[in-house]
Amino acid sequence: MQKKNLAQLILGDWNTKTVVGVAIGAALFGVLMVYGGVKVFTNTNLTTAMLIPVIVGALFGPVPALVACFFGNVIADLIGGWGFWFDWSIGNGVLGFFVGLLPLYGADINKGVFTVKHAVIFALVAILGNALAFGVVTPLFTLLFFGGELNITFLQSLTGGASNVLVLTVLGIPLLFALAKRNASSQNLVKE
Amino acid sequence: MKQFVINVTPGPTFLHHLSGKTKVMLFGTFIFYTLMSFDVRLLLPLFILCLVALISLKPNWKVVIALFTFIFFMNLINLVLFWLVDPDVGQYYTTDTRTILLSLGNFFLSRETFWYLLIRQLKLMTSFMVSLTFILAITPSEFAAGLYGLGLPYKVCTVVSLAFRYIPDIANDYENIKISLQARGLEMDKRKLNLFKRLKDNLFILLPLIISSFDRIGNIANALDLRAYGLLKKRTYYAEHEPTKADHVFRFIAIAVLVFSFAWIGSRMIWPPVTQMWTPF
Amino acid sequence: MHKEPLIVFDHFSFRYASQQVETLKNIHLTIYKGEKVLIIGQSGSGKSTLVHCINGLIPNSFKGEIRGSCTVAGMDISHASIFSLSKQVGTVLQDSDAQFVALCVGEDVAFALENQAIERKEMIPLVKKATDKVGMSDFLMQVPYTLSGGQKQKVSLAGVLHENVSILLFDEPLASLDPFSGMQAIELIDAIHQEDRTVIIVEHRLEDVMHREIDRVIVMHEGEIVYDGDLNALLKANILIHYGLREPLYLQALNYAKIPFSTFEDVTDIKRMNFSAVQGELKSFVPKQLHKRIDRSEVLLTVKDIHFAYDVKPVLKDIHFTVHRGERLAFVGKNGAGKSTMAKLLCAFVRPEKGSIELSGTDIKVLTIKEVGQRIGYVMQNPNHMIVKHLIKDEVRFALENQSLTNEQIDDRVEDALKICGLHSMRNWPVSAVSYGQRKRITVAAILALNPDILILDEPTAGQDYAHYSEIMDFLDQLNNDHGITFIFITHDMHLAIEYTDRALVFADGELIADDEIQAILSNPDIIEKANLKQTSLYYLAQACGIAVEPFIRSFIEQRSQA
Repeated sequence: MQKKNLAQLILGDWNTKTVVGVAIGAALFGVLMVYGGVKVFTNTNLTTAMLIPVIVGALFGPVPALVACFFGNVIADLIGGWGFWFDWSIGNGVLGFFVGLLPLYGADINKGVFTVKHAVIFALVAILGNALAFGVVTPLFTLLFFGGELNITFLQSLTGGASNVLVLTVLGIPLLFALAKRNASSQNLVKE
Repeated sequence: MKQFVINVTPGPTFLHHLSGKTKVMLFGTFIFYTLMSFDVRLLLPLFILCLVALISLKPNWKVVIALFTFIFFMNLINLVLFWLVDPDVGQYYTTDTRTILLSLGNFFLSRETFWYLLIRQLKLMTSFMVSLTFILAITPSEFAAGLYGLGLPYKVCTVVSLAFRYIPDIANDYENIKISLQARGLEMDKRKLNLFKRLKDNLFILLPLIISSFDRIGNIANALDLRAYGLLKKRTYYAEHEPTKADHVFRFIAIAVLVFSFAWIGSRMIWPPVTQMWTPF
Repeated sequence: MHKEPLIVFDHFSFRYASQQVETLKNIHLTIYKGEKVLIIGQSGSGKSTLVHCINGLIPNSFKGEIRGSCTVAGMDISHASIFSLSKQVGTVLQDSDAQFVALCVGEDVAFALENQAIERKEMIPLVKKATDKVGMSDFLMQVPYTLSGGQKQKVSLAGVLHENVSILLFDEPLASLDPFSGMQAIELIDAIHQEDRTVIIVEHRLEDVMHREIDRVIVMHEGEIVYDGDLNALLKANILIHYGLREPLYLQALNYAKIPFSTFEDVTDIKRMNFSAVQGELKSFVPKQLHKRIDRSEVLLTVKDIHFAYDVKPVLKDIHFTVHRGERLAFVGKNGAGKSTMAKLLCAFVRPEKGSIELSGTDIKVLTIKEVGQRIGYVMQNPNHMIVKHLIKDEVRFALENQSLTNEQIDDRVEDALKICGLHSMRNWPVSAVSYGQRKRITVAAILALNPDILILDEPTAGQDYAHYSEIMDFLDQLNNDHGITFIFITHDMHLAIEYTDRALVFADGELIADDEIQAILSNPDIIEKANLKQTSLYYLAQACGIAVEPFIRSFIEQRSQA
């Protein structure tokens, strides 16, 4: 197989498999958003949905991860019926892009390649992505769309970002290791 | 399994019968209109219009009222926080004055802040009403067809419809995996466990859920390929009927709203720049 | 009659890019226009690969190396696009849930038309025509979750019937259907064949396909064609078992009774066979005294007056039954009849509205899911839904670590469970390295480690060929025999119910309509109809020879377990 160039790595192939993979990713995102939160306090949910774009990104690239994340969010809004809050959907999309960058720094879950080095890069990118998505993009859109008190808006957005970082590192890294281990070819197995 | 708020099959009323493209256009332009305006004279009529539309859709009121109440109070909490942090928050958006309406020790509520918070709540609730009306009027297939009609590549539209198709299956798998883990002694939803343990336990559901969900990709992609998916640059939609007279009228309205919104932005916000919202005082 | 070749494999070999050895080896095969061909073979025999060559998924979706040539309707598959092939070849996939890609029936049938950008005005009559053919035109607005497996399959078929495709491929069409729906599917396929189309069916459930006439049978084994000819000669040659395939039950019975197949002209249709010459031998096949091996002394589970509903519509009404220690039970009935819900109630996944479930005298309503789970184990249909750990031994350990046990106790139990399930030598392997059947064993071992009294298995053999079916079921039967574990199987498979259970509970529309030995149930036309079951060929055989049905079937089962 020939090496893909950077643009292809970022955009993804968008063949039928990519379309289906992104759709399944968006569906999983929606399901986890609506059904699969971890209750922290009565009202705050730590959603595990953010882990899905990581997997979509690992398999298909960052732009597919972005699409899965954005539409997963829109779909969750449609199922839940609580309305569309595009300031958050856009932030999620941006974050989806960042956490989906895995193929660009050499991690390949399909072939079982995910090392400590990749984990460190992943953690850094997750923090950076959240800082940008929920420290800048979402609060700016919130202020642009709805106005509001500056400190509270940033604080709320950053809380969402921080909980994402928590989920992405505490759950995401073990998940990536587990998936990579599962896909690594198992040779030289001997019955004992 | 929880019920979806969106309907999978089209409903019987007038608005349901509009085509997907018309519905997406109306939603898009009205959301834009809501987001750009901070003016009671623009927001209140739309809010009332949405209420009428909602009534015409004959929804399940229990669900609608529950959602409305939830969103209303979530946003109200925000407003109270704004006010607690900065009682003069309204001054930046209304007039640069402070007319005390009510004072409680060190805290006070000014007319300006009260007006600002009131309008913000109205704006958020109008945005919610526009969304909810749209959600209750459209089906996922019409949504996909409508997005395509507005020029999105059909592969992206397929993501939307295909995701909806498999959500109930995946939600079902989720429940089953969770139950079988509980039967094997994994504690869930228990407050006695600490946060990290609970997060870690979630991984046990996620791993089989992710693996089995992504395992479907091959089969589904084959099913699409075998029926000529991706053959042409364009495609048609069974769920998208030809525009009726009503569709033409409503599409015209959508465009008019868009033109109005741009004109408003141009005349009020860019030149001459007006940063303060309209107030009755 | 002039025969026009439609599909021609010549010196054809194929190797998947991911594999070392060829999956298809030197295939020579010609299929003529208008033929109805059945391809049978074990899993891994290459039969699905052969189908993928015909519909163009090879080499378009599955990459690999082709040697020799294969032409389909005049197109060389090495160069033809999957789209041009799809105008000639319609494929109904095994997984009807994967093939149903739209949100309602009409849309799904229209899917191929949408992709060709056909105007909606033209689309609607075409969809109507296709759905009329399969009898689904009244369901156009239905969503997939409300359809049965059989209905979904009809939709899949309608979706590929457009543009008069000349070749139709059916990949294991019976895999997820109840017996009656399976019979209907075979009849529908036959009707489609009558419209002058070439039909290729890939199945390992030979006897069910034989319900309607087949022109030719191709047997595949380890990537090669080992038989290509008519059905009668194949059956008479008595070679199916060598290739890991199940022979029809009535022929199996004749084998047990040592009656040579050469006695009959044609053995493909039991209803046309003349048994007058062998009646005596078949009668003596039934022994006078049949021993009952079930010891019904200890009542383990008592279900009383259970009522249950998810919302308003009742799912289960007024259910009563008991289970004794060491029994093997089957829950049968069509989809949505309530059998899975009953199993969930037994495991306390859901709680009844009314009524009680007593486990050795304790009402399970006072127990948590976890506590019930230690005594009643539930093994899901898809092992991939249960496995959470990387290594086999860790997976078996998982449930024990959530108990208050010492490390030594856990180690002992894990060792035992692994040994019982024949996994001990592979305990340090990753789960991903083993086959589907072995994964099933792992999930059973993981539950067995808890020392449960009852194991409930949901469709333990769905989609498995005869060799794997026997492997899984013989293993479970051994657990029952040697360790006294009580089993409940939720199943559509009447062979399983006949061969491996002592008693069947039949559910229909939320009611328990029968609680009896399976041979008695399968002799009752009323219950058969209500529950979408199907009489087996053993029933016809017994009747044709004037032998009482129940003892005949029972002696068949005993012969089988001795064999």
